[in-house]
Amino acid sequence: MAFPEKLRAELEQLCTKYPDRKAGLIPALHRCQEELGGWISPEIMEACAEFFGMEPVEVYGVASFYPMFKLKPTGKHVIGVCHNISCDLRGADDVIEHVCKRTGAPVGGNSPDGKFTVEVLECQGACANAPMFDLDGTYHEDLTPEKIDAILGGLS
Amino acid sequence: MSARETYLLDRCKLEDSHTLAVYRANGGYKALEKVLKGGMGWAEVIEEVKASGLRGRGGAGFPTGLKWSFMPDPAKDPRTRYMAVNADESEPGTCKDRVLLREDPHGLVEGCLIAAYAMRLDAVYIYVRGEYRKPYDRVQAAIDEARAAGLVGANVMGTDFSCEIHMHKGAGAYICGEETGLMESLEGKRGHPRPKPPFPAGFGLWGQPTTVNNVESIFNVPFILDRGAQWFRSLGTEASPGNFLCGISGHVAKPGVYEVALGTPARQILDELAGGVWKGRQLKAWFPGGSSTGLLPASLIDTPMDHDSIKGIGSMFGTGAMIMLDETACTVRASQVLARFYDHESCGQCSQCREGTQWLHQIFRRIEEGRGTMADIDNLERLARGMAPGKTICALADAAAIPTLAALKHFRHELVEHVERGCCPFKKGGASAAPAAAEVHA
Amino acid sequence: MTKITVDGRELEADPKKPLIAACHEHGVDVPHYCYHAGLTPVGSCRMCQVEVEEGGRPARVAAACRTPVSEGMVVNTAGERAHAARRECLEFLLKNHPLDCPICDKAGECKLQDYSYAEGQAEGHSAEPRRKLEKRKDLGDVIVLDQERCILCSRCVRFFEEVTGQAQLCIAGRGAHSWVDSYGGRPLHGNYQGNIADLCPVGALTLKQFRFQARVWNLRKRASTCGECSRGCAISVEVLRQGEVKRIRPRYDADVNRWWMCDHGRFAFEGATLEGRLAGARARGYAGLEDVPVDDAVATVRDAYATHAKHVFVASPWLTVEEGAALAALARGLGAELLLVSPPESALKDDLLHTGDPGPNRRGLTELGCAARDAAGCREALAGAETATLVGERVVDLVGREELAALPAQVRLFVLDTKPFEAPAVRVALGVPDWVERSGHWVNVDGHRGPIAAARPAPAGVRPTLQLLGELGAAAAAEGGAR
Repeated sequence: MAFPEKLRAELEQLCTKYPDRKAGLIPALHRCQEELGGWISPEIMEACAEFFGMEPVEVYGVASFYPMFKLKPTGKHVIGVCHNISCDLRGADDVIEHVCKRTGAPVGGNSPDGKFTVEVLECQGACANAPMFDLDGTYHEDLTPEKIDAILGGLS
Repeated sequence: MSARETYLLDRCKLEDSHTLAVYRANGGYKALEKVLKGGMGWAEVIEEVKASGLRGRGGAGFPTGLKWSFMPDPAKDPRTRYMAVNADESEPGTCKDRVLLREDPHGLVEGCLIAAYAMRLDAVYIYVRGEYRKPYDRVQAAIDEARAAGLVGANVMGTDFSCEIHMHKGAGAYICGEETGLMESLEGKRGHPRPKPPFPAGFGLWGQPTTVNNVESIFNVPFILDRGAQWFRSLGTEASPGNFLCGISGHVAKPGVYEVALGTPARQILDELAGGVWKGRQLKAWFPGGSSTGLLPASLIDTPMDHDSIKGIGSMFGTGAMIMLDETACTVRASQVLARFYDHESCGQCSQCREGTQWLHQIFRRIEEGRGTMADIDNLERLARGMAPGKTICALADAAAIPTLAALKHFRHELVEHVERGCCPFKKGGASAAPAAAEVHA
Repeated sequence: MTKITVDGRELEADPKKPLIAACHEHGVDVPHYCYHAGLTPVGSCRMCQVEVEEGGRPARVAAACRTPVSEGMVVNTAGERAHAARRECLEFLLKNHPLDCPICDKAGECKLQDYSYAEGQAEGHSAEPRRKLEKRKDLGDVIVLDQERCILCSRCVRFFEEVTGQAQLCIAGRGAHSWVDSYGGRPLHGNYQGNIADLCPVGALTLKQFRFQARVWNLRKRASTCGECSRGCAISVEVLRQGEVKRIRPRYDADVNRWWMCDHGRFAFEGATLEGRLAGARARGYAGLEDVPVDDAVATVRDAYATHAKHVFVASPWLTVEEGAALAALARGLGAELLLVSPPESALKDDLLHTGDPGPNRRGLTELGCAARDAAGCREALAGAETATLVGERVVDLVGREELAALPAQVRLFVLDTKPFEAPAVRVALGVPDWVERSGHWVNVDGHRGPIAAARPAPAGVRPTLQLLGELGAAAAAEGGAR
């Protein structure tokens, strides 16, 4: 796979921030995941390896270290519910249960219709507004069942 | 409390606080101008920061000015020099830097510029945790605005001082908040902390002299330069001057991020700012400064929130993020949640940390689920002592061991009760129905 | 050099190397897993903790692989605190390590086993299930990976990155939830894969060739030299009770191969079998080549040397310098032409170890006066001779088995090789020992003299090459030369 020209140009630009091009790998994986299907496919790893002059196995080692990089296809919407201490104290388990029931996705899996992925996350730094989840990169905080229904109900 | 002086969050309350216009209208970039155009030498800036007694706000509380002075003299060491700003805020309970990044990004940018001048840096990288998308965008926008206004890049404010500030995004790893893990990650690698020595000031990013500072630490710098070290020392305590951002979360009526003078008693923060324990309940336990500082009993809630006072009760000030547990909370459950966290976040290099964090998690889970034994309780202590202190490359093993030992010290009776009753006594219905956290990890 | 004290002994330590290196170089064993002198230290296994006192500060426990030496440093490797630290470390390492030592090829030379025995505690405290991962991950032709046994020391990962210059493995995942992996299950490639089985401190990476072949404590080891190229890597030839070569491993030699060797050399012994060998002697009788007593065959050759004038000798580059010297004396005594058959360059040539010259002793033999010729050059010389003697293992193949078979019968061909060769020109064929059956020396491409050692007996009836050369007249010629 070759990167789309626009993305390639953006990644080239991104790498100019660093004295060593390889430092651009993690931001580049973010951009690839955002632009190319929501997960780090083998094609993306190989393209990144080529782009950065690395071996694919090195990209794999890095990508698999960071949980934000999905190494399996995700649903159209990814809901990450924080279940660390501050959220746990304010009902993260109920949020997880509610979200799973509502979307039909198990924790760590996709809904049968492929629309949702539900995962649990460690501390997201929104502790003063617990409980929270991250929906497709946006934080939703101070969650209540009603609020969750309104947020998820509004999704296409 | 009513007369307390604030500065850290003052601008955040304003509309469009993140823009250059609002920042400038409220005294922004005045300190930078004073430094660059007021004839302050770089050494004077470091001296002023040293004199202020500012201690790092990222958790260790190391004096910022002293850290800056570790950077080698460019006359003797001509290598490229960097600062990495640690905006990888991920210590459980900690949510303060997010407010600054999102609401007052120019404050950070100005702080970076002053730091760059003082340490004669070539470039600054702001390492923001990947999940903080909006804060990232806000800081990036602030840098762009500042660049357009001649404040970032070549010849800042028309002087011969130049400095680049770059944004960098992490991807979900607590360990990248450890300064050497951060540097590895910034270089595009797995976030494996580096053994020290060598220290970052001698061998940091790409092997060059580097200093790593927390967002809130840097954010304090323009205020110190603008108002003076003496003013800064008028706030807080002798050994811990200034105000700090206290994120208070858990079982409180009004969780939030509050600006408090160091040395303010924890009870005062809880009662006067956070509205006390929620639902009219009693406090059972609390963390003074993020999960890694360990649980303390309610009886210690009158302790002043500053480095020495908290150290005095056998804990750590950490990030100053207070987490409150009411009388219905289960300290075993809390310990299990945190053990799971460290298990999830250990980078896996050091044997004790890799295996120990998983092991602690497994034992706490069994005890919480009513499947623990008395031998497990002893084992927790043995394992925690086998992991720390100082037995591993970085302090993550310590961060996992400390809350374990604290739970054993202050709440051993709850562990014993779980074992004896064969269930969690705090769970509705009393039966052990906790979700198996094993799936969570797969 | 920096002066330090280790366990009460004053040592000189190289300030550029970590403390553990100083200890090891002076024979002090500091247990370790991730550290390897040939790789960048990472300080991750934490097994090498020792007590260190320096700068007037109280003793601390530190990982010796990441501790620089300093003047006056006092080190105690055997203190109670150091032992305790290692004991703890072992307990954590064993938590997820399967107890399958009885079926593990590494048992007996496993560092986890050794140090657990030396430092560990008898009882375990873990009630938790062990990590479930792939137990038999096929990494290609050479290596099998058992992810459950792996202790994540990352030596294998670093070997490919740092020694071969191309990453092939990584640690994937994080923390206790990490494992060694190749990309997408790709097989390993290249000529140096076997080294990671040597590097692996436990039984996670094993050689397919060696799997379930032998218990290592039954192997007899002989220090020798690899004969697969002119690098002459220092090796250890490991032989099971009955004399069967089971494994070859590199032996550290600072001037030649350091810790490594190539797979081609590592597995070359598979060709060095006892099957299909020429034992004793064959000589041409009325009915063609027939078995004869070795003494008779030797006499036949000596008669031919005495009756004819134009002789050519062709040496195999596998001959030792001792054998080469005898051959040179013999040739000199007969006024014969002495050639060395020079094999074509191998495609295995690389920048790491393999020289591309398949002969291990070309340099030693040319220094003794052998003139190197390619196969065609050798054949041309021997076609014009009255007697032609080919000496050494593989010599027939190197000169050209088919071409030699086509030589007219009037060329009197005498062959000293390990394998039989039947052709019209052959008058006498004598079996000789191969390179795992002889002792002597080879001189490598850089002039380094490496020993080869007999690791097993030659097949019955095979006389040592040196003895045969002596009987053919070398001994007398050498004496004559000395006079």
